[in-house]
Amino acid sequence: MAAKQAIQVGTKIVKPVLSTNHAEARLRVLSLYKAWYRQIPYIVKEFDIPKSENQCREKLKELFMTNKDVTDIRVIDLLVIKGQMELQESVNMWKQKGHIMAYFKPTEEPKPKGFLSKFFNSNE
Amino acid sequence: MSYLLKRALGAGCSMGRNVLNNAKSPMIQRIVTKTEQAAPQEETRPTVAKVDPLQKSQLVDFGKYVAECMPKYVQKVQLTAGNELEVLVPPEGVLPVLQFLKDHHTAQFTNLVDIAGMDVPNRQYRFEIIYNLLSLRYNSRIRVKTYTDELTPIESANDVFKAANWYEREIWDMFGVFFANHPDLRRILTDYGFEGHPFRKDFPLSGYVEVRYDDEQKRVVVEPLELAQEFRRFELSAPWEQFPNFRSNPASEEIINPGDDKTKQ
Repeated sequence: MAAKQAIQVGTKIVKPVLSTNHAEARLRVLSLYKAWYRQIPYIVKEFDIPKSENQCREKLKELFMTNKDVTDIRVIDLLVIKGQMELQESVNMWKQKGHIMAYFKPTEEPKPKGFLSKFFNSNE
Repeated sequence: MSYLLKRALGAGCSMGRNVLNNAKSPMIQRIVTKTEQAAPQEETRPTVAKVDPLQKSQLVDFGKYVAECMPKYVQKVQLTAGNELEVLVPPEGVLPVLQFLKDHHTAQFTNLVDIAGMDVPNRQYRFEIIYNLLSLRYNSRIRVKTYTDELTPIESANDVFKAANWYEREIWDMFGVFFANHPDLRRILTDYGFEGHPFRKDFPLSGYVEVRYDDEQKRVVVEPLELAQEFRRFELSAPWEQFPNFRSNPASEEIINPGDDKTKQ
């Protein structure tokens, strides 16, 4: 079993979550990405969300790329585990339309950045 | 009265006093020692739980017995609150110790009452996982404590106690401690799409997001939390000491600490 072996992280020997090296962790991430990618048409159809498949694929890529700088194998594994749980929730329709749409954040207004836009945005 | 008689009387008195003193001193001492022995047993303060010495001695004996049977895993055995036995084990010893306590004939802790978690962020292993066991056969309870951090998985106790299934899901959901080989590890208390683990000490009391019904979208939307007023930090600790009478009382008394024994040897 992979869980019985020890992996080297920095100078400390730690117990692995799932993967024992980077290649294995990468494989898990890719397979999770593929599983989500293949599920997208069903998600769009069954949840009846007002988004196209392409928009969903872009969002999927964006969500995966937010964690692209994570290098710790155990952190990657835990992120993969959480992603798998979310996929399971989506596949089994435990989630509802609002939960899927929460990825897109339709009601959030972007924070004003420039001086003038901040000024216009303030109520005073 | 003549001077002589007075003197004789005084001498008699003093002599008698000496005799009395000599005769009494051992008796008084004996009484004193008796009260000293009885003092911890007789608890007269109404607000303090009375300790049953028989039960306590049995718990101490059983704690020593557990430590003798599982010397590889038991790091420390302690009594808290007078009659609560706690066994402290490293993460790899959870399953063997739980299996031992469940199946051993003189233990028979067949019920897993609860699994609790505790977060102390400044420790090296910040989480404590606490298994509360109940033996219906001997009407007795025991607590098994172990430790972990955010990234170290703990073996699932589901194979020993089926009750551990949901409790471990709770711990996973609230603290984010991963249980290896759990048959169905997923969220149990939080909403789908919820991010973070609410019982961690670094999780803000107000949370990160707020949920509301949006009339334009015709569904519930999740938005980052915006407080009109900055979240106020209330200083909840009082300036005075709450329980000065219990200042000297330790929270737990050790029964066995093999590390200490080794250093002594």
